[in-house]
Amino acid sequence: MPKFTIDNREIEFQQGQTIIEAAIDNGIEIPHFCWHPELSVSGNCRICLVEVEKMPKLVIACSTIAAEGMIVHTQSQNAIEARNVVMEFILINHPLDCPICDEAGECKLQDYTYQYSIGESRFTENKVIKQKHFELGPRVIFDGERCISCSRCIRFCEEIAKDPELTFVQRGDRVTITTYPGQQMDNPYSMNTIDICPVGALTNKDFRFKARVWDMSSTDSVCTGCAKGCNINIWVRNNEILRLTPRYNQDVNSYWMCDHGRLNTFKFVNGEDRINSPHIRKEGQLEKVDWDESFNEAVTRIKSYPKDEIAFLGSAYTTCENNYVLALFAGSVVGSNHIDFISHLDPDFGDDILRKNDITPNKKGAELVGITPSKSGLNFEGMRKAIKEKKIKALLIMEDDIVSSVKDIENVLGNLELLVVLASNFNKTTELADLVFPTATFAEKNGTFVNADGIIQRIKPAVATVEADRALDGFEMSRLDKFGSEFDRWMTGAKMDAKPGWKILKSLSGLLGKKMKFNMAEEIFEDMAANIDAFKGLNYDDVGNSGVKLKTENIENAVTS
Amino acid sequence: MEQKAVKRREKDLKFWERIYIPEILKGLSLTFKNMVRPKFTFEYPEEKFVPSSAYRGRPVLVEEENGEERCVACGLCSRVCPALAIEVQAGETEREKERFPEKFEINMLRCIFCGFCEEVCPEEAIVMSKDYELAFSSREEGIYGKDKLLVPANQLQDRIDFLRQYK
Amino acid sequence: METGIFVLISAIKILLIAVLILMTVAYLTFFERKISAWAQNRLGPNRVGWKGLLQPFADVFKLLLKEDIIPERANKTLHFIAPMIALFVAFSTFAVIPFGPEVHLFGYDIPLVVADVNMGILFVLALTSLGVYALTLAGWSSGSKYSLLGGIRSSAQMISYEISMGFSIGGVLLLSESLRPIAIVESQAGWMWNAVIQPIGFITFFVSAFAETNRLPFDLPEAEPELVGGFHTEYSSMKFAGFFLSEYANMIIASALIVTLYLGGWHIPYIETLGLPSWLVIVLQIGAFIFKLVLLLFLFIWVRWSIPRFRYDQLMNLGWKVMFPLSLINIVWVAILIMVFGL
Repeated sequence: MPKFTIDNREIEFQQGQTIIEAAIDNGIEIPHFCWHPELSVSGNCRICLVEVEKMPKLVIACSTIAAEGMIVHTQSQNAIEARNVVMEFILINHPLDCPICDEAGECKLQDYTYQYSIGESRFTENKVIKQKHFELGPRVIFDGERCISCSRCIRFCEEIAKDPELTFVQRGDRVTITTYPGQQMDNPYSMNTIDICPVGALTNKDFRFKARVWDMSSTDSVCTGCAKGCNINIWVRNNEILRLTPRYNQDVNSYWMCDHGRLNTFKFVNGEDRINSPHIRKEGQLEKVDWDESFNEAVTRIKSYPKDEIAFLGSAYTTCENNYVLALFAGSVVGSNHIDFISHLDPDFGDDILRKNDITPNKKGAELVGITPSKSGLNFEGMRKAIKEKKIKALLIMEDDIVSSVKDIENVLGNLELLVVLASNFNKTTELADLVFPTATFAEKNGTFVNADGIIQRIKPAVATVEADRALDGFEMSRLDKFGSEFDRWMTGAKMDAKPGWKILKSLSGLLGKKMKFNMAEEIFEDMAANIDAFKGLNYDDVGNSGVKLKTENIENAVTS
Repeated sequence: MEQKAVKRREKDLKFWERIYIPEILKGLSLTFKNMVRPKFTFEYPEEKFVPSSAYRGRPVLVEEENGEERCVACGLCSRVCPALAIEVQAGETEREKERFPEKFEINMLRCIFCGFCEEVCPEEAIVMSKDYELAFSSREEGIYGKDKLLVPANQLQDRIDFLRQYK
Repeated sequence: METGIFVLISAIKILLIAVLILMTVAYLTFFERKISAWAQNRLGPNRVGWKGLLQPFADVFKLLLKEDIIPERANKTLHFIAPMIALFVAFSTFAVIPFGPEVHLFGYDIPLVVADVNMGILFVLALTSLGVYALTLAGWSSGSKYSLLGGIRSSAQMISYEISMGFSIGGVLLLSESLRPIAIVESQAGWMWNAVIQPIGFITFFVSAFAETNRLPFDLPEAEPELVGGFHTEYSSMKFAGFFLSEYANMIIASALIVTLYLGGWHIPYIETLGLPSWLVIVLQIGAFIFKLVLLLFLFIWVRWSIPRFRYDQLMNLGWKVMFPLSLINIVWVAILIMVFGL
């Protein structure tokens, strides 16, 4: 491999790499505003100026191709002075908006001002006045004064979202960004521009002024919006999810996620319709009861049916762990062969970028852990028929609102004698249920999803339920979480009295006389790894933060067997 | 054998000191002198201590003449507060500064009057007042909201001038 | 004098003195607090009434309204009796203290003393010895180590200092040749005050009086830093007030005794040369007695806020090795005076 020297260190590079790419691969930081690893090189911010020996002038590291034997200095007198000057130049028209700017705390310009600026300006004139509150699109607000014209957002729309909507207009200090006439920045990936904007020029309309970044905790998780399983961070303050941001994972979503996933997949966690305790239907109305009563009721009623008359529906919305325990519950505890789950496909949703037509996060996982009818068991269509004919009298549904998604099912479910629903929020299915158990959402439990590409990824709890404790259960904690007491108002965020589905099933099976040994999701996964080929040899540590691709032959084996 | 002199006191007392009575009289005369000295006690509820502008009483928010707060809810006071006494929730307005504190609460049970919030404030919006009379009978009363925190700027001019001297 | 009249007059005198003493005690506590405040550059109580003058009543109400706590391990009877002994002793001693010369009222000769007994001084000594029981019993019956230590300390201390006290009085008796307090006062007419004639006896008696009343610098029985509250640690409400009252009453007795024995009682030197009407002389003489008393009480309080407490071994050293020999020397000195000058 060819080599060149940077800051007296000899590093290897691949032919065709730029200096900045080679430097980053070797852990050397060169400041950059307009350069982004996934975007084309624009070279307009000039902050990445470095000194290359035998070159007459300083060069920008982002567009200079590295060459054999090059000697680069990033910390020479010339390079440092150049960065100072570039910072001073960029800051000339940048308003001192940090106190009211949402980017503060995660702002590249702020960081570099501390690191590379001398902190003084010779500019005494008035700063340029530009439009401060301009809606570029339905989800993004643009502040012209803060913009440093790096063009990242323009290039993102052209190259990643494949939907050119933005452009520069005017020149010199009047340059600003706007949409093409008659257009809006409304592509389904528009909010990624907020993340890549190095300053606070583009802000999130949904999150605007809601919280300071340093007040929130950030938990690694996976988006539940579709089968792609984009990696995300969940940002929580006062036990409430305030925003989701994409997390880098080259194998899945790179730096991006779609606006649907960012906006529509978390609000139900703190929604008004969350189920906050078990419910039993008494005289036609669902009534709040405590856990013991609901468990006892469920067990007595399940016991009263022969095992052939009980059916189970898993879910592609919930974790492998939940589905696995449901399969065990149906097979070994109750002894019923009728188990299946429903696929949810939306042909209008998918695209060539990230979005998939399968709008559930874990269809493959549900298949792999055994949510499929065995030889004598009925699949969903079979169950439907059997329910109509009153051959199946009891049904347990885990975390799937089938009434909203399956046509004409409502009347069929009316024939049931017992409908047990495990759900996080009230929905059309819980309206028909005789027994409702509140379950923890994706943001409240540990677990794994297998995405459309066969990559298994972990989700971690970010929001505490009643049974959880942030400190003891290893949650990510913000400063407020660490030092708050029960008497602080900013610690009084609502905690739901909900449990992960597998815990509910475990309690039921205990009362039915077959104890399950699982105490935490990790133990279920160990059991899965021991019993299911696809997961063989895996554990939570292996899956880690970026996931593991399951071996394809294992998947095929598992599904066919 | 060498005999060690036993030292009984730091200083050997003289005869008149050992008699003790003159020393007692000295002590008595000292206390008597103090009895007739003028007293400088503040008789508190009637007579109130007026602190100098360097005094750090309870933190308050500066209210402009038009009745609006200067605060833009940047949250720096909340971040710098070593006792986590301050909670700010920002909101959006139509004013020139588009951000304002929808909620601004100082938990006076947590506040330690260090003045960091005042020092860090970029808008000169939170200052330490001269108010030292803080009494409440429940935890809830100890949480001061915007209604209690907003004080007109002219009442705080003393402190603001003092701060400008050192900024 | 008819018996009925005698009883009536005595009853009036008793009532008068009891009320006077209670009031004096109340205001003594007030001035104790005031003087301590002044000595420490404070203002002292000034909230209740004009200049705080109603403070003593507030204190009394507070004590009355407080919960009376009897410790579980206390001997309940003795715990109850101890403060009563203290009060009884303190108040009955006043019976023999004269506070003025004889007056002629409604045709009767009335001595300004409740009981003009001819062994009055012995009576005083006897009763003050009884006072030890109050403290010792209080300390012992409370069932607390602090109280017990305080009680033991007080008995040892009072017995030790009673010796020098008694011997000091010996000098006085040699001169007056009587145990009657009135006779002792009469013997000091003019400038013949015992404080002048026998200064050593005066000092030893004076110091012993401090020790006997448990006042600083000799308040070891209730030394707060070591024993919480000493013998009365476990007392509250009115029982505590009983000890509190008796301490201040004892101060008044001690002061009155000193005035009687050493400072010429009600005598004002050379007053007879001024030719004043006899009633005015009597009023002035009663005033003189009270003036001397108040001065001594002030001294008691003043000393308390000036001088630190002795260590227990120092207290015993002083009592046995200094005060006792000095009081003996005093007797010899008085004897020499009588032999040589024929006083």
